[in-house]
Amino acid sequence: MMCASAVDPVRHGRVPPYSVLVAGLAILVVILMGASLAIGYAPLDLVQAFRDVLKGEKTLATLVLTELRLPRALLGCFVGLSLGISGAAMQGLLRNPLAEPGIIGVSGAAAFGAVTVFYFGLAGALSLALPLGGIAGAAAATFLLYGLSGRGAGTMTLILAGVAINSFAGALTSLALNLSPNPYAVTEIVFWLLGSLADRSLPYVWLILPLMIIGWGLLLVSGPALDGLTLGEDTAKSLGFDLGRLRLQLIAGTALAVGSAVAVTGAIAFVGLVVPHLLRPLVAHRPGRLLLVSGLGGAALTLAADITVRLLPIRPELKLGVVTAIIGAPFLFGLIYRLREEEA
Amino acid sequence: MFATVRCRRLILTAVALLSAIAHLGATDAPGKPRRIVSLNMCVDELVLRIAEPQNIASVTWLSRDPKNSNVAELGARIPVNHGLAEEIIPLNPDLIIAGIYTARTAVAMLKRVGIPVLEIGVPKSLDDVRAQIREIAGLIGERERGESVVADMDRRLAALPHPPSSDRPRAVVLNPNGATVGKGTLVDEIMTRAGLTNVAAELGIDSYGQIPLEAVAANAVDVLIVSASRDGPPALATEILRHPVLAALSDRTRVVVMPGRLWNCGGPAVVEAIERLMQIATEIRAEAQPK
Amino acid sequence: MEIEAQGIAIRFGPVALLEGVDLAMRGGEMVGLIGPNGSGKTTLLRVLANLRAPEAGRVHYAGRTAAEIGTRELSRQIAYLAQGGAVHWPMRVETLVALGRLPHRRPFQGHDAADRHAIERAMTAADVAYLRTRTMGQISGGERLRVLLARALAVDARVLLADEPIAALDPLHQLQVMELLRMIASEGRGVIVVLHDLALATRFCDRLILLARGGILVEGAPAHVLTDAHVAEAYGVEVVRGERDGVPFLLPWKPSAQSEGDVP
Repeated sequence: MMCASAVDPVRHGRVPPYSVLVAGLAILVVILMGASLAIGYAPLDLVQAFRDVLKGEKTLATLVLTELRLPRALLGCFVGLSLGISGAAMQGLLRNPLAEPGIIGVSGAAAFGAVTVFYFGLAGALSLALPLGGIAGAAAATFLLYGLSGRGAGTMTLILAGVAINSFAGALTSLALNLSPNPYAVTEIVFWLLGSLADRSLPYVWLILPLMIIGWGLLLVSGPALDGLTLGEDTAKSLGFDLGRLRLQLIAGTALAVGSAVAVTGAIAFVGLVVPHLLRPLVAHRPGRLLLVSGLGGAALTLAADITVRLLPIRPELKLGVVTAIIGAPFLFGLIYRLREEEA
Repeated sequence: MFATVRCRRLILTAVALLSAIAHLGATDAPGKPRRIVSLNMCVDELVLRIAEPQNIASVTWLSRDPKNSNVAELGARIPVNHGLAEEIIPLNPDLIIAGIYTARTAVAMLKRVGIPVLEIGVPKSLDDVRAQIREIAGLIGERERGESVVADMDRRLAALPHPPSSDRPRAVVLNPNGATVGKGTLVDEIMTRAGLTNVAAELGIDSYGQIPLEAVAANAVDVLIVSASRDGPPALATEILRHPVLAALSDRTRVVVMPGRLWNCGGPAVVEAIERLMQIATEIRAEAQPK
Repeated sequence: MEIEAQGIAIRFGPVALLEGVDLAMRGGEMVGLIGPNGSGKTTLLRVLANLRAPEAGRVHYAGRTAAEIGTRELSRQIAYLAQGGAVHWPMRVETLVALGRLPHRRPFQGHDAADRHAIERAMTAADVAYLRTRTMGQISGGERLRVLLARALAVDARVLLADEPIAALDPLHQLQVMELLRMIASEGRGVIVVLHDLALATRFCDRLILLARGGILVEGAPAHVLTDAHVAEAYGVEVVRGERDGVPFLLPWKPSAQSEGDVP
């Protein structure tokens, strides 16, 4: 029996060697980061600015480079990495190309946490209140997921729990905005929730980077288990994998990587859905290998989209989450259409 | 239960409509309206300043909040509405004034019921402000009061020194999500009149637009104008002030809080906005003088 | 490696599927697990593969329990071939067979010479080496099953537990797979295979275990197990017997007299 998930056209050509693919994508990411540093709203002599930074001089150019462009490029890379890896992990766990990182409810909870902690002043005078709130929201969703799915429950329970958490978090976010003491809260936060990398500062990046690194680690080591799942849950278990532990590992990894990303940038849609799908044929459909490849692809896509947003002459600047949604939604329609044809 | 609520609404509307029609036919003293309703915060202020309190049937609840309203004490004694047609119709108003962007559903409902609603736009210049004050005064039937408000405004403006044409500190408004105000707006004219150069206008932004922090950093901004105070409730408007870029520029750029109530509406309070900015401009010029 | 099960009970809530099952398998023998639909063959196999805990009883692997051995070590000792053969991603045959080496690998480690040798041997034994670069969607049902069998062989385990491996195959491939399993057993490994086909069960298995009515009805050599009485009692059919080249065989022929009166 072949699952309907086998949509990808069969590649008769050869697949690039894994190390070449990873190296190539990594180089692409580095190039795009360089491009991201070079593009902005103020005229900047990039080479001179770099020299000044290395010399330790503080000029306007170094300020713009290190405090505005660098965080934006780093965030584009790290957030894209998180979305790519966790998208591939979710699709591997659920054996379904329609899965994406938000499916377990972590992004919705992170948005809710950010809104609540920030607008009700729960973090006191702490700067970074917004991202700390987001991380707290993601952590709460994680505990809820652990409690609901536990070690015995199956994958379907996990998806349903995610749906429930997303709905609940969405409703509570609206409630929190309604009740917030700041009457302009709604207008302010709506744009934040749409997802953007603009004007975020380095402290935000340092706050979430350690969490993301742990998250990436947890997700990457699940590669062999995801490979085993290709043949179904029973076979995976017989190959020595503990599926309950795998689920918990993936929940924790996704919450750390994606939850902290959403906490800083808002929700950036579809990267975690589109990138694993596009790159899967290049790793010969092996879910384990797809993790890192999809992460690098996600970083590249996010950086490219962010560069596009700045190059487009549309003002005010289009929100990144909107751009990825506009590209990603038709892609999703196409995917569903082809799946439907396969099943017919 | 739903059906009963709908029934009650229908009955309420019908009763109000019938009584309104009945009153239309009745002989009222010609001249000023006696039951004025305002559905807009900016209109509130003008109505409260110009009309007699006994002629005002209702103003919006926002006019009572001293953080948002310049006429909080005046508004304290007047019944308030929340912009709902249900609250307005039973008041049997003879003049309703609303803004063109707010309370849309209530305005549509009131018009459907046959009550005339006058809609006032957003002023784009000081001349617009004067014209609006006069227009509302005319509607209310208090032309002289309106003229005196305008005259008062002009007198205070005339008392201000003329700003120099050169050596104008560079300022920009920075609202949440990078929103700013460019040329062709009341805010722009206020800034210009106060002796500041509006950096957003210089960058070509027309009306309301967006300014990235990079542009703020790279354009030698002396004054950053924000709308929320840091001791108010948490707001993204102030979060941006923690950004390291602005911290690094703080010796060059000063942050000024301009409450929205002073210049979001077209009323006499704009003079105070000009006065405040003028004060800042003078201070900056003084600091820049070689000692 | 011997597997010994004692007192196994499998229940789903208040409903008991199997009670008091005792079972043993030694290396080098091919055991057929047979019985009518719903008799608990697949579930019992899963218990033996340590995929499901029994509600009562214990399973010992070479004298030790699964907990004592550890999941990882056990996964190197037991290869499980699931029913149905679902494959979720259109991988290449080579890659799929290589999945059998997962119990032997550490994370981020590639295949070493031993792995590659085991994979080649498995593909040759299952006769799928010529398919190595095709994907599962490009091969026939019989070939697909042989690929999955190669995957199980690649584990190089001491025991192979196969759940209805020949159900969807044509006669040629059925015979080929049964020959292959026979050969694996003759190498000294233990094989337990769940079967429906009585004819093949008789011909290829050393021992049969017949499950019916919530327990083991009878077990032992095929001739001892598949008597007319046992077959009628378990399956409700009459058989026809024959012999060829000195090897006896039987064919289910028609519903037996008792079951004709039963409600279908």
